[in-house]
Amino acid sequence: MPSAWEVLIATALLVGTFFTAVSCLGLLRLPDVFCRMHAAGKAGTLGVCLVIVAAMLFFIASDWSVVLRGGLAIWFQLLTTPAATHLLARASYLTQYPITERTAVDELRTFLPSRPHETYGRE
Amino acid sequence: MSPFLASICQLCLAALLVSGALCIHRLVVGPDVADRAVALDTLTMVFIGVICTLCMLWSSALYFDAVWILTLVGFLSSAAIARYLEQGRLF
Repeated sequence: MPSAWEVLIATALLVGTFFTAVSCLGLLRLPDVFCRMHAAGKAGTLGVCLVIVAAMLFFIASDWSVVLRGGLAIWFQLLTTPAATHLLARASYLTQYPITERTAVDELRTFLPSRPHETYGRE
Repeated sequence: MSPFLASICQLCLAALLVSGALCIHRLVVGPDVADRAVALDTLTMVFIGVICTLCMLWSSALYFDAVWILTLVGFLSSAAIARYLEQGRLF
């Protein structure tokens, strides 16, 4: 019979893996790069952080430095993923990446009117 | 390492491997550079999950340093690709 601590570790690991898998599924299924970034940036960050938390909980009794390194990893992940996603989205918008024709609102186009309209829906 | 936690770890490893295969598919067929960059970023996350799970499965924190190093390297590669896309040069 597993102890409550092991059930806690297993829950964190399973939920983290689930979110990582969902993010990869979204990467495969969603129509254009902005939707894919949405899946990869949100679900991926949450999944990775939960898996690292599971490893921290696992090693907290035997190796204290893993908690430090895991906390550092979570801190870096939360710090860098939004910046990287934002940079990539800005770069792909500015280089006329074809947005899917199912896009309802594109507020950025009012600020960057140089984008030609016919790049919509060119998959 | 109890057999309960070991079986959970093996299940998560299998799921993470399938996720990595999906990322590699997007990396190969992705119609543009930005798609491939996002797929590479997600593949880094899957690698981090695999490393954490293997550390738990082997009960050894030897490779745990790779986790926080991979987060930094993944950010650097994404930022470099974005800058190259936007400005046509790196420096």
